[in-house]
Amino acid sequence: MSHAPSAALPVGHYSYDAVDRTFLKQRVAQFQDQVERRLSGALTEEEFKPLRLMNGLYLQLHAYMLRVAIPYGVLDAAQMRTLAHIARTYDRDYGHFTTRQNIQFNWIRLEDTPEILNVLADADMHAIQTSGNCIRNVTADQFAGAAADEVLDPRVYAEILRQWSTLHPEFTFLPRKFKIAISGSQQDRVAARFHDIGLIAREGDNGRPVFEVFVGGGLGRTPIIGVRLRDDLPEEDLIAYLEAILRVYNAHGRRDNIYKARIKILVQALGAEEFLSQVNAEFSAMDRARYRLPEATVEAIRARFGAPDFAPAGDAAEKLVAQRKSDHAFDAWVRTNTHAHKQPGYASVTVSCKPAGGIPGDVTSAQMDLLADLADRYSFGELRITHLQNVVLGHVRQDALYDVWQALEKNGLGEANIGFITDIVACPGLDYCALANARSIPIAQKLSSRFANADLQREIGPLRLNISGCINACGHHHAGHIGILGVDKRGEEAFQITLGGSAGGADASVGQILGSAMSEDETVDAIARIIDTYLSRRTAGERFIETCRRLGTAPFKDAAYAPA
Amino acid sequence: MDRRNSRRDAEGNSVITANRLLDGRIVWLAPNGQWKTLIQDAKLYPNSTVEEALKVRTAHAQENGLVGIYGVQVTQTASGPLPVTSRERIRAAGPTVHPDFTPDWHAPHPAPHA
Repeated sequence: MSHAPSAALPVGHYSYDAVDRTFLKQRVAQFQDQVERRLSGALTEEEFKPLRLMNGLYLQLHAYMLRVAIPYGVLDAAQMRTLAHIARTYDRDYGHFTTRQNIQFNWIRLEDTPEILNVLADADMHAIQTSGNCIRNVTADQFAGAAADEVLDPRVYAEILRQWSTLHPEFTFLPRKFKIAISGSQQDRVAARFHDIGLIAREGDNGRPVFEVFVGGGLGRTPIIGVRLRDDLPEEDLIAYLEAILRVYNAHGRRDNIYKARIKILVQALGAEEFLSQVNAEFSAMDRARYRLPEATVEAIRARFGAPDFAPAGDAAEKLVAQRKSDHAFDAWVRTNTHAHKQPGYASVTVSCKPAGGIPGDVTSAQMDLLADLADRYSFGELRITHLQNVVLGHVRQDALYDVWQALEKNGLGEANIGFITDIVACPGLDYCALANARSIPIAQKLSSRFANADLQREIGPLRLNISGCINACGHHHAGHIGILGVDKRGEEAFQITLGGSAGGADASVGQILGSAMSEDETVDAIARIIDTYLSRRTAGERFIETCRRLGTAPFKDAAYAPA
Repeated sequence: MDRRNSRRDAEGNSVITANRLLDGRIVWLAPNGQWKTLIQDAKLYPNSTVEEALKVRTAHAQENGLVGIYGVQVTQTASGPLPVTSRERIRAAGPTVHPDFTPDWHAPHPAPHA
């Protein structure tokens, strides 16, 4: 599986060619025409809405919102600067990184949108399939191609799936949206079991990849952990098998009821065995030669990815040790915000987009430019957006970490909180979203401020806190160790707490509702009491989620609803 | 349209709102028939008559460059109409997390077509 890509290719993502670029320009011209026909009245809003959604343009609570695709979360520095330019020129100087590794701009004008899409196309970017009942952005491990625990790089397969699914004529009008995630590590960092299809790749006996396939997972109003359909899907059958799954879903998914239209409902209704049987029947009947994914095709796609030309310094590790010893704040940041790299002398950096009291996932145009500069200088010009709404610099030399941290610190991006209680995942909520019942951001800000003390966060240890402003669960609250769900109580917002959810790996679980909804301030206080309960009841070395599982929800419920 | 947009009591008053087609901005129907960006300028309709007014305005949505016309139940306050639901209060005032983004916010450096 070795290869030697050209140094001129962008590191970490697929390099477009003339065909890709012509396609994007044609798509922009098509949308320009659609916008003109809408403005002239030739298209009604009902006719235009699905067309704009197919180009990522929503009409939200206050304005149009444009969701730009970041395939498998990877972009290069020039692309990040393009996003900064869009934020500065066409929006209100910031963007919001989403739980699908995309970015949203909240104040876009319809009349500017074709021009924005042109600007994106010039940077090999687009907003295609960031909305609508189609296959959405395929997400991948944020440490792909870098993690020490990785078996193989999933991005090549994410790109193959992107190309297969883009404007796929059979799957453009599915019963409902469809989300795929892929990991190349046995450490599931993509929440594979909470996706319509989750793939975990590993090396097979013949040296080529095989895939573990989960299907029918999801969050939303019916949270379900996906079922394992295959353990050893060969690489050459990847497209054929996914095509078979999608065909069964497309044929039998509920189009009569939006709340029962996701594949998870079909899998549950048929039962896993019957669903598997139908997929296998479709798979057997297919023209397999047509859908075969040959090794040569995989390698041709792989050759379009640039790879970092590592040049570790011999004394990088020693230098890092000395810098950590001399600066405790830096040492704390290294502990929480770096991840072991497969290349000795390097580390992956997770840049926290969750400053104390800040808005999770929001980044200003100046910060985007800084991140692009840091990527150029220290990480081969490559960046990744994580599904936890942070940014990763994948390949930073250990002796450069101190410089990176100092630059981040100066620009409000140096929070040492990755994986802690203030590393909150939150949807935009009722401050922006037309579907939301309650605001997600203010309660996130209050909790972030409440637990801002670094020593307290370290004392609490690893804890995932997720907030959704409605049952659609864009903040993945069911998968949070602590989840918060915003609800509407007779026109006023209120919040339910869920406990015990977990996104990753074999112990994926759905959080359980603790009790009735409370006001925003009551919820913040209740969570503080839940944390106190954990700190007083945990055994040595026991993480929050482990204490929840050992004790059950009862003591936490008592604490949450204790009279003030 | 969101079902919440057509919920209102038999009694009470409502104002009429929409989004501008070109830029998505929220506007409110004023007594002189113009569409204004501040809810304080909106005309009050008794809930008993607002449905009929909505029908008339919706019929002219395209020529007025509007989408998503609907009625919002309000109470009258000293500073003008105040929506009864938190959703509509946020929609009328702007996102609570950016107090500077009031409905009359203007870009310091307008976009090319602004």
